[in-house]
Amino acid sequence: MKPPKVDELDEEIRAHLALAIQERIDRGEDPKAARLAAIKEFGNVLLTRESIQRVWRPGWFDAAEAFARDLRFAFRSLLRAKGLTLTVVVTLALGIGANAAIFSVVRTVLLRPLVNRDPDRLIYVRQTAFGIGADNLTFSMPEIRDLEASSKSIRTFGDFSTVDFTLVGSGGQPRLVTAGVVNGSFFEVMGLRPVLGRLLNGADDGREAPHVAVLTYPFWTSAFHGDPAVIGRSIQLGPAPATVVGVLEPCVPYPAETQLFANVVTSPHHLGATMKNERWHRMTELFGRLAPGATLEEARAELTAAHAGMMREHPENYAVKAHVGLRVTTLRDQLASPARPVLLLLLAAAAIVFVIACSNVANLILGRSMRREAELAVRAALGAGRAALRRTLLAESLVLCTAGAALGLALAWPLASVAGRYAARFSVRALEARVDGSVLGLGIVLALVAAVLLAFVPRLPSSERSGGPGLAVGSLRMTPGTKRRLRLFATTQIACSFVLLAGAGMLLATLNALQTANTGYDMRQVLAVDVPPPATGFPGKDLMDFFSEATRRIGALPGVDGVASGMIVPWRDRNPGLKIQFGFEGYQPAAGEEDPTCEFRPISPRFFAVLGVPILAGRDFADTDTEQVAIVSRSLAQRVFPNGDALNRHLWFRSLPQRRRIIGVVADVDDENVVQEPTMTVYAPYRQIGLAGRLFVRAAGDPYALVPAVTRTIRRLSADQAIERASTLEDVRAQVLAPERLNAFVFSAFGGIALLIAVVGVAGVLAFSVSARTREFGVRLAVGATPAQIQTQVLKEGLAIVAVGITAGAALGYGLARLASTALGPLHLPGVLPAFIAAGILIAAALLASIVPAARASRVDVLQALHSE
Amino acid sequence: MTKTPEDRRLELLQGTLDMLILRTLQWGPRHGHGIGLAIRQQSDDLLKVETGSLYPALHRLVRRGWLAAEWGVSEANQRAKFYQLTAKGKAQLLREQDRWSQLVRAIGLVMKPPAGREEKA
Repeated sequence: MKPPKVDELDEEIRAHLALAIQERIDRGEDPKAARLAAIKEFGNVLLTRESIQRVWRPGWFDAAEAFARDLRFAFRSLLRAKGLTLTVVVTLALGIGANAAIFSVVRTVLLRPLVNRDPDRLIYVRQTAFGIGADNLTFSMPEIRDLEASSKSIRTFGDFSTVDFTLVGSGGQPRLVTAGVVNGSFFEVMGLRPVLGRLLNGADDGREAPHVAVLTYPFWTSAFHGDPAVIGRSIQLGPAPATVVGVLEPCVPYPAETQLFANVVTSPHHLGATMKNERWHRMTELFGRLAPGATLEEARAELTAAHAGMMREHPENYAVKAHVGLRVTTLRDQLASPARPVLLLLLAAAAIVFVIACSNVANLILGRSMRREAELAVRAALGAGRAALRRTLLAESLVLCTAGAALGLALAWPLASVAGRYAARFSVRALEARVDGSVLGLGIVLALVAAVLLAFVPRLPSSERSGGPGLAVGSLRMTPGTKRRLRLFATTQIACSFVLLAGAGMLLATLNALQTANTGYDMRQVLAVDVPPPATGFPGKDLMDFFSEATRRIGALPGVDGVASGMIVPWRDRNPGLKIQFGFEGYQPAAGEEDPTCEFRPISPRFFAVLGVPILAGRDFADTDTEQVAIVSRSLAQRVFPNGDALNRHLWFRSLPQRRRIIGVVADVDDENVVQEPTMTVYAPYRQIGLAGRLFVRAAGDPYALVPAVTRTIRRLSADQAIERASTLEDVRAQVLAPERLNAFVFSAFGGIALLIAVVGVAGVLAFSVSARTREFGVRLAVGATPAQIQTQVLKEGLAIVAVGITAGAALGYGLARLASTALGPLHLPGVLPAFIAAGILIAAALLASIVPAARASRVDVLQALHSE
Repeated sequence: MTKTPEDRRLELLQGTLDMLILRTLQWGPRHGHGIGLAIRQQSDDLLKVETGSLYPALHRLVRRGWLAAEWGVSEANQRAKFYQLTAKGKAQLLREQDRWSQLVRAIGLVMKPPAGREEKA
């Protein structure tokens, strides 16, 4: 039934008045007087109209109106308790904000769909060799051919390998780009689309195909400013020009971030015999798309069988010790798996913060409702039902939690971008992390759940229970149950804070160990510069002459103390191709035993002097060396020639069989790990090997001041030469340690938040406990206790909470560490010192938090306290 | 909603007012003013229904489906809204009458007990 319109109500009232006036006139009253009397008799027209309208309101309207009144009341009373309101809102905001941020990253990495078409059928194949610590050995072309030949469940394979090119033609200076060299079916297998032009296809395969390139979306927007006219343009890609044929849609760059994709013909290396025929020459990643009807399990079984057959057929390429194996997963799982432990760790940290936040908020609200018990009792006595009282409490906690959630969601954006950048080190998908709508939902749900739970924390005045809050008692009383609850919450906070703080401490200690570890290099004065030889630019001798000349000219610059060249900038460059097998004088391999392997480093003379590595015996290489020579690291010398007679003995590489005379022994330096481990390294003169690509410049003053002069010198020698990433070794190490630093930062932030909340929590509990015991303190002061005794007692109470909390936290932390090490493999914990420091910080903070309430307790005015009841 | 003492009094009155309205409409449709007048006259001027209570009550009864309302013209040729009992309204009137007479009897028993029983107690 529809409610009547206002017009109709007015008409009804007018009709009533007309009838009443007429009736009075009929009874003989004067018309004017009758009119006045009738209007007077009717009373307030508007009020009547409103009462009629109220009759027609739906039932929920009244409830909503009452609740709105409760909310207004809650607002007003919370405004009067600003400190509490602020604490609760900020605490909840931190709890919700941290959770929302982590959730959006988790969602992006683990839950969001890939842009690739039909990602469930997109398979990533990986060759592992856990025996030599390689979880991704990649494939050689002969291996790929074998796998392709024997697979029915995977219809098409896409292969991918990276090559660095010097790119000319993107405007500005020549620059080094990484290109994904792919076969024609790669993009079809990946299920990606172009945003412009076309992608590569079967017609681009083969030696005779024209050189073509596809730009990635980020490279197109950054280097070409998103110019659509780039299609058809010719760019210089290493030795030869190539035509840009398309731009790829934005997608997750996997397995490596590249600036562009190119067909195989652009890379002379890919056309060479080594690439085509050598089974050990592994540098290619393999993807596949399941044939219609085939399942991942079938593909896995089939490929594993084919791989086993291949290993049986070519045992010389699969050392038994290496435990070569095959992993077949969907690309989605492959992307998500390395990030999972890290994200779970972050999620756990956020959950701990949320627990702390909730228990703190519960504490504050419990204390507040304790103070309100008298008020609640009055309202109950005036006829308010339990439901109405509960609704009042609910309104208040709703206001608090909604405000907290709103602030928390505002915090979520900056937190999510920090967490996303952090997780990107482990899973590139995290870079796409954005706070999305579902996070909003999660935040609101969390806030509502918190609000409802908190509304049920306080006790209500009850007529059945004697000793409950009464009208007669105007001041606070604390029952043992309440006290226990308050303490329990405070202890929980301390325990959780301890876990976070100790964890952050462990991470900081680990980071510190990494940052201060002795590397064996001179870190400050050495500038490392990438001078990448164009993919095929100068062959052999020309390249060597270029580097000799560059070294000579840079060495002549003012402020330069020495120049050397090499292949590897410590920690920054990884080149698995430089790990090779060798033999040496007097070496008799046992049957079936593999040749030993070493790190192989072609370097120029003065390399050791420039990098500050001491020569322990013998001499450095010289420009005049014509004999085949080598220098070895101390560990290798001791291992291979235990009698200390390494000098002048001979060794040779399996792939370079000339015998080399050992002319020197140098200290171990580890260019793979920031924390040094013994290294088996063989150095050889770069001119004898024909490889170079990195320059090391030792500066007398500020190394970075040399960058312009070095760049000019090299450009004068070769105008198209790319020069990249000039950086001191110290900064290289800092960059390499960036994830550890971010890791420590995030956990310290969580720990700091937790500490802050926990301090507020302890202070709140003690303050409440003190104000509830004003009378007790007054009595004790009256019978002769000194203020100092009272103070000590309150401080002791605070310390007791902390002590119990830390003990519980230590147990919890130990349990978590055990759990983590079973789930994620062994953890490297840097001793218990950080845990002690965390405990110290917590105790200090708790003492600080106890001082104010303790001082207040000792200042209780005896007379006032005794009169107060 | 919190119930104040005024509300409760109103409620008590409402119950009887509804019944009185249903009763006055027993013999045919009337407009609001006529209903008020009828209650006053039939109660010998003891009950006077305020318009502020009468009209909300009428609308409430319409909403419950006990009354139907229709615009019409009075005997004095004035436009007015006429209320009349529906079938549901007639049934309700019977129920209310029953309950009322029970209530009167019960209250009567309490307030004027027969002489013999008072002595026993």
